[in-house]
Amino acid sequence: MIAYLVNLATLMAIFGIAASSLNLLIGYAGIFSMAHAMFFGVGAYVGAQLALHVVADVGLAALAGGAVAAVLSLCLALPALRVRGEYFVAASLGLQMLASTIFGETHILTGGVGGLTGIPAPTLLGYDISSPVVYLLVVTSVLILTLVFIHSLIRGSFGRGLMAIRDSESAAEAFGKDIRSLKTLVVVIGCFLVGVAGSLLAFHMAFVNVESFTLDQSVLMMAMVIIGGAGTIYGPLVGVVTLMALPAGLSFLTFIPSTEIGTVQQFIYGVAMTLLMIFRPSGLVGQSRGRR
Amino acid sequence: MLLAQLAIAGLQTGMLYALTAAGFALIFGATRIFHVAHGATFVLAGYAFLESVGLGLHWTVATLVSLFVAIVFGLLLDVLVYRPIQRHDGSFFTVFVASFGVSIAAQNLLQFIFGGGFVSLSLPLTRASQVLPGLYIAPVLWVVLGVTVLVFGSITLFLERTNAGLGLRALAQNPELVRAYGLSSRKLSALAFGLGSALVVPGSILAAITTGLQPADSAHVMLISLAAAIVGGIGSLRGAALAGLLLGLVENLVVSVVDTQWSQAASFLVLFGFIIFRPSGLLGKASQS
Repeated sequence: MIAYLVNLATLMAIFGIAASSLNLLIGYAGIFSMAHAMFFGVGAYVGAQLALHVVADVGLAALAGGAVAAVLSLCLALPALRVRGEYFVAASLGLQMLASTIFGETHILTGGVGGLTGIPAPTLLGYDISSPVVYLLVVTSVLILTLVFIHSLIRGSFGRGLMAIRDSESAAEAFGKDIRSLKTLVVVIGCFLVGVAGSLLAFHMAFVNVESFTLDQSVLMMAMVIIGGAGTIYGPLVGVVTLMALPAGLSFLTFIPSTEIGTVQQFIYGVAMTLLMIFRPSGLVGQSRGRR
Repeated sequence: MLLAQLAIAGLQTGMLYALTAAGFALIFGATRIFHVAHGATFVLAGYAFLESVGLGLHWTVATLVSLFVAIVFGLLLDVLVYRPIQRHDGSFFTVFVASFGVSIAAQNLLQFIFGGGFVSLSLPLTRASQVLPGLYIAPVLWVVLGVTVLVFGSITLFLERTNAGLGLRALAQNPELVRAYGLSSRKLSALAFGLGSALVVPGSILAAITTGLQPADSAHVMLISLAAAIVGGIGSLRGAALAGLLLGLVENLVVSVVDTQWSQAASFLVLFGFIIFRPSGLLGKASQS
């Protein structure tokens, strides 16, 4: 039972990082990316390859995963600079679909559909951190660092610039905000952070494959941000806990056959997304829209 | 001959996409609602058809049932989901998330009831015969061709020649003015949803009797129709249909160059390229964004 809870908490912390980084894009910059799982995957594959072939150091793997994701995020920054609204959503959807195919088909880099297995136990600066509790602590500290980082980012002039763009691009431009570099930078930062989360996931699972980085995962991350409350620091965390506790909670309901839990869970979160958008579009912890 | 065979398969898929995408473009053009649950309508209509046939109904009756299900689903979404959201918040992303939620819920409900596997119906119509050496064509191709031309022709006539069609086009261009002229934008948006949703029916029935249907198709159809609507140029029905055809052809023709697994990726590469380099689409006017 303890082992189960530690595992769940570790996953929640990893998704907490991922959802918070997506929130930076969706909630603060108004960049509605549906390709976040792609960068999550990039981080995971880079981290896994590094651990398999060079060194199983979590810190290095996370930095490398984040860095590669940040470089590739320029693919996302390009449409973000050129188009808005529905067009950008469509572009990011297209990118995500491309990425899922590439993950599934380039066997040398990603192991194809079979994925990469046998990722060695994680170390940090030479210390063994493979015990689940210790790893949970490491992941949680990364999560806290991420939150502090995002919080300070948002408080500063960078964050205010972003929110100005989100609320009115032309007004922000009139005030002399450099929209292009602000947008590019926020995409790069967001994707770096989710890349870090991806490599943490690779060590935690000791196995990565394309299943974890498909469109469904992007949608799940988006749902976490939206259900919790986009544009708030704690909203994404609430969303993560809610959505990840759901399958755990459902497994206690014995009248649902265990093979159907995934389906029922997806059904519930689909309905929840719709109902929230109708009755409380700012999410569970978000403030009412009057402020915006 | 392989190329010709692939082109024919592409044509058939492309025409399926064309009508579905035209439905999406009609709804999006007139109401500015990013109706991603359109894919769910497609799958629902297909299942409605298959289940009706399974119950022993004649295929014409089954087609009507499927038409009914599609239209009711579209109208219900308009009334129960989109209208309440638009009343308090115009943000397109809110609408998009709600619509996505509906489509996830519908897909999983279908999976829960009918299972996640492929269902299909085998008819003599879909049995391919050799036309030229190495070239196989199933008679269903001619049906697809006929239905597509007929449906597309009548929808174009409707939009161009009737008052309601004129209203729809006006709604797309200037909703405020439509209201000022005393036309009900509610009724017009309901019309757009009814008509747009009805347009999935030929495609979904044809998919059900040719390639087969599964609940997970909903996401694929959704992506293809929004890709086609954008590649074709938003607001242009003809553009969307043309782009749907193009995407179907691309998806099939690339098989001659790369493995089948890459065929869908090719369509999305086309989409991505269009958004970056020509966001106004094939037949669209100046970029809107």
